Amino acid sequence: MSVVGERPARVVGRALVRHDALEKVAGRTRYAADFGLPGMLHAVLKRADLPHARLLRVDTSAAEAVPGVASVLTAKDVPENTVWVDVPGQTFQVGALKARTNVLADGVVRYHGEPIAIVAAETEDAALASVELIDVEYEELPVVTDAEAALEEGAPLVHEQGNLIASWQLQEGNVDAALNATHAVVEQSYETQFVDHAYLEPEAGVAWLDTDGVITVRAATQVIEHFRDLARILRVPDNRVRVIAPYVGGGFGGKEDMTVEPYLALVVQRTGRPVKMVWSRSESLLAREKRHPMKLRYRTACDAEGRLLAQDIGIVADGGAYALLSALVLLYATTCSQGPYRCPNVRIDARVAYTNHTPASAMRGFGAMQVALGYEGQMDLLAAELGLDPLELRRRNFLEGGDTLAVGQTLDTHVALPDLADRVEAALGPKPEPSTRGRRVGRGVACNLQPYGRCVWLNDWSSAWVGFELDGTLVLRIGVPDIGGGQASSLVQLAGEVLGVDPAEVVIHIGDSALTPLTGTTTATRQLYMSGNAVLQAAGELREELRPLAAELLEAEPDDVEFAGGGARSGERHVAFRDLIAAAAKRQVPWHRLSIFRAPGGDAWRSEASWRGRVFPDFTYGCHAVDLEVDPETGRIDVLRYLAAHDVGRAINPQSVEGQIEGAVVMGLGYALSERVVYEDGVNLTGAFAQYLIPTAVEAPEIEPIVVESGEGVGPFSARGIGEPPVGAVAPAVAAALADALGRRLTVLPFTRERVAEA
Amino acid sequence: MIPRPFDYERPRSVEEAVSILAGAGGRDAKVIAGGQSLVPMLSLGLARPDVLVDLSRLELNGIEAVDRRVRIGATTCHRTLELDPEARRLLPLAAEAARHVGNPRVRNRGTFGGSLAHADPAAELPVVAVAHGGEVVAHGPGGERRIPLAEFFLGYLETALGPDEVLVAVELERPPETSGVGFHEEAQRADDFALACAAAVVAPDGHARVVLGGVGDRPLRFEGPTDELPAAVEAAVEPEEDVFVSAAFRRRLAGVCARRALARAKEDAGA
Amino acid sequence: MMLELLLNGRRLREPVEPHVTLLRFLRDQAGASEVKYGCGEGVCGACTVFLDAVAVNACSVLAVQAEGARVETVSAFAGDGSLHPLQQELIERGAVQCGFCTPGVVLGSIEAVRLGLAGDRMTIRRSLAGNLCRCTGYGKIVEAVEAYRDGEGAA
Repeated sequence: MSVVGERPARVVGRALVRHDALEKVAGRTRYAADFGLPGMLHAVLKRADLPHARLLRVDTSAAEAVPGVASVLTAKDVPENTVWVDVPGQTFQVGALKARTNVLADGVVRYHGEPIAIVAAETEDAALASVELIDVEYEELPVVTDAEAALEEGAPLVHEQGNLIASWQLQEGNVDAALNATHAVVEQSYETQFVDHAYLEPEAGVAWLDTDGVITVRAATQVIEHFRDLARILRVPDNRVRVIAPYVGGGFGGKEDMTVEPYLALVVQRTGRPVKMVWSRSESLLAREKRHPMKLRYRTACDAEGRLLAQDIGIVADGGAYALLSALVLLYATTCSQGPYRCPNVRIDARVAYTNHTPASAMRGFGAMQVALGYEGQMDLLAAELGLDPLELRRRNFLEGGDTLAVGQTLDTHVALPDLADRVEAALGPKPEPSTRGRRVGRGVACNLQPYGRCVWLNDWSSAWVGFELDGTLVLRIGVPDIGGGQASSLVQLAGEVLGVDPAEVVIHIGDSALTPLTGTTTATRQLYMSGNAVLQAAGELREELRPLAAELLEAEPDDVEFAGGGARSGERHVAFRDLIAAAAKRQVPWHRLSIFRAPGGDAWRSEASWRGRVFPDFTYGCHAVDLEVDPETGRIDVLRYLAAHDVGRAINPQSVEGQIEGAVVMGLGYALSERVVYEDGVNLTGAFAQYLIPTAVEAPEIEPIVVESGEGVGPFSARGIGEPPVGAVAPAVAAALADALGRRLTVLPFTRERVAEA
Repeated sequence: MIPRPFDYERPRSVEEAVSILAGAGGRDAKVIAGGQSLVPMLSLGLARPDVLVDLSRLELNGIEAVDRRVRIGATTCHRTLELDPEARRLLPLAAEAARHVGNPRVRNRGTFGGSLAHADPAAELPVVAVAHGGEVVAHGPGGERRIPLAEFFLGYLETALGPDEVLVAVELERPPETSGVGFHEEAQRADDFALACAAAVVAPDGHARVVLGGVGDRPLRFEGPTDELPAAVEAAVEPEEDVFVSAAFRRRLAGVCARRALARAKEDAGA
Repeated sequence: MMLELLLNGRRLREPVEPHVTLLRFLRDQAGASEVKYGCGEGVCGACTVFLDAVAVNACSVLAVQAEGARVETVSAFAGDGSLHPLQQELIERGAVQCGFCTPGVVLGSIEAVRLGLAGDRMTIRRSLAGNLCRCTGYGKIVEAVEAYRDGEGAA
């Protein structure tokens, strides 16, 4: 279902050079930290040294006495210190009532690195000298380090109201009966780890006081709509705060919650002066939100032909010290935990708990990727039990369009999994031989599903302004933050397609909560879907608005007018937009259009813990395969080949699609093999970039993306989102390949050299 | 983070450097050359010296063969060892090990003398130096002092250099033509510090020397018959656990590194 | 101290404190915001510059150590409307996503090709191991370097 029944033709589907690439490669793009203002202060945070402690005393007197210090702020100085993750009429419903966090620690610190105070000074040196002099007296509290233990009776409390953040329970069919009456049952636990986004650009921003008392924050963010949260913190009307997102140096969900914004805004409110804050890499690693670790327990049963009969699934996630988006992450995990497979009997018990770890929140894959290790591991175990080829077992169970998930959502677009599996299998060829004696080669496959677009209960919308300047150039105004995935350039390409303008000639103004129409967040693989549809709608409406005038100028029938080549034409006659828009201005025909795309809603959410019905707009499916070589002595793994097939509905820009797949796979490999944030009694030990092991160019293999275009999806021109989906299948594919190579299955991520060597 | 303030001196001679160090009094004076370990440590707040004495402008670089030894000037960068044809011919073991040091930019700027003086037990070049044997040439208030490499490394980031001494060169023994050399490293990723590494020298009669890095507080040297060494290494080393690996796994990697370095050295001797 | 150096052909004379890294000097005092802060530990390569024609991490060099040196950033390779052939390859092959690592990747790759350390794909990957990228998965960067290398050979 696409919003406008367009036939893509001219620029959609072409690997166009992204409009932002030229500036970036020349080093001219001004990221958040590359901006400054005269007389700017520099702000730094005093962060907690302990993971759980009462603050007996926070003495800032010595810090304030440092020459050049303009202000030192603590919790008592914050007008509204409590932040709720809540958009009016939206998240309120989704179990997020307890999603409360503090701008600055108030009385208690609950994780290592939690902000306690803000120092703003004339120079960075003065700010750093000052922050060291803040004297904090702590009284240590018991540290909660395990989510399961946190939920036990009598566990020390992270928050007074209890350690349970959110839970989802649902049951479809009769799981117990099915488990007792089946051919094969496999049971296994799996464990995933804390992971950091590790974008190359650390959190940063500059803020200043603008005309009419508008506090303006220019920061690296995926969400300019945080202006509302800032307004609440500052206790000012929403219209007195403005957030600008410049091009962002990577997001992956880590710049979805606020980072530097509240601190900058508070300093501006207090001092009236411009201020800059750039987090060090250590701060980012120590205290920035992480991916939720999950403990997964699966019991899966099938009949003699390998058809799934029952899945009994337990999920316990570590939400860290504050709730943030935990309830939603858990919802994604719950919805996707059955995998892309039909199953008549499913029981899911999913819970997320507070601990004294860094808060866990959004990260590419958002709960849906953690559970893939479990549901795909189960498919492999069943295949082994039945003596079936792992892909064959999956083929017997793939979801099809029209099927209904355990949560009650019926799939109303094509599910291309059989095709994806065929394409991967055909490309694979024979398994390679080990390169050296003693090495072993393994092959693994894995499939996954990942929603794109926000949960339907959030009543999502996006708006876009498409119009012309009087010289005939096409301009887009649209609030989208571009975090590197080509969010803005895809929109340019879509507008160019509809209006017949070379995308290289289009200008797009993005990411300004005061001046560009709001699009909603650059998260949840939603921008191409939501804002793409909004642009398509606005551009289509504008084109129809201009059509009669164009017909008149061309002396043609409106239906014979085609928009192409930078203007309108009919047969041999052509009028350039310069002349068309001049005529429109003279005749008072509108030459711009603001349009809102509203995501189709779904069945209402009913109760706190269970529901049945549509949860997401749609899903993107994938099938991956990996060949790898293991040195059993040292645990070294070389990825020999990596295939990743996804149905993207239609590839608006095939090069960007490949880029998303390749980048996500390498991120998935880091997750599978090396990345982990290490805590000891709540203290984060991996505070240096040298200790947080993202893949380098050497560890990353050549990725072979297989882009399938089924022509079905809910985005513009039937596109499906591809930002998050390719990250999910990687770890289970690697797990399967390691099991193939070693004869033993690893179930605890990451599969470090040590764990591999000892398998 | 960024480095906290300190004073800075750029002496024009080794003598001047020594006199600055000797005159530092109670102040914490540190020598800087390439700065590839020190500057990141300053930024991370792991080092907070009062004064830095910069040797990077002194003409202390260069590699020359002197009898059975090779003299490496203190500020010779890793990249020279790695890529310079004459350096590679004279010191193939160092050339191989240098490839594993940091990333290309670290190798462009980091110095041989700096690596030894810094004495990170997981660094590659101290291991190579001990495998070769020879002497560190230091200058102090009393003039030149030669410190045998076997006595140079005292512990984690600790050497026999006095606080008022400057490392000016290292003289490495060249193994006999008939012997072979080999290096092997196991690291988390390309260019990471070694989880374990080994440099080996094998004589034609099978007598061998292997030096291990990353598995103790300094390079650890073992000698004996080639075939017996890996087991001896694995039995003797007592590595510590860290955020990456357990002590047991490091010990296991020590054995693997020793075995593979020795195998390569044996091959090299036969070649 | 007074620091004199040549930045992208422009002579600079600026007072600088000893604890200021070359990275901080370039960004905060010399307006060279194209040099990025990614980690400050010499790990990520986002702050790569040429110091007397040798690629270094500007975060790991003190500004005072660059006294009298010739410093070049990515800006030295992109004039008005013109790009270095490697930059052209990078954008045409879709090797630029968020772009934050790109200035460092450009300089690291140019040096690798100049030193003959881009002979095959694995060699290119080894040469780029100190330029971390979290968006692209590296494949398209490697292809771009390969194409640039071949173009250089043909020239």
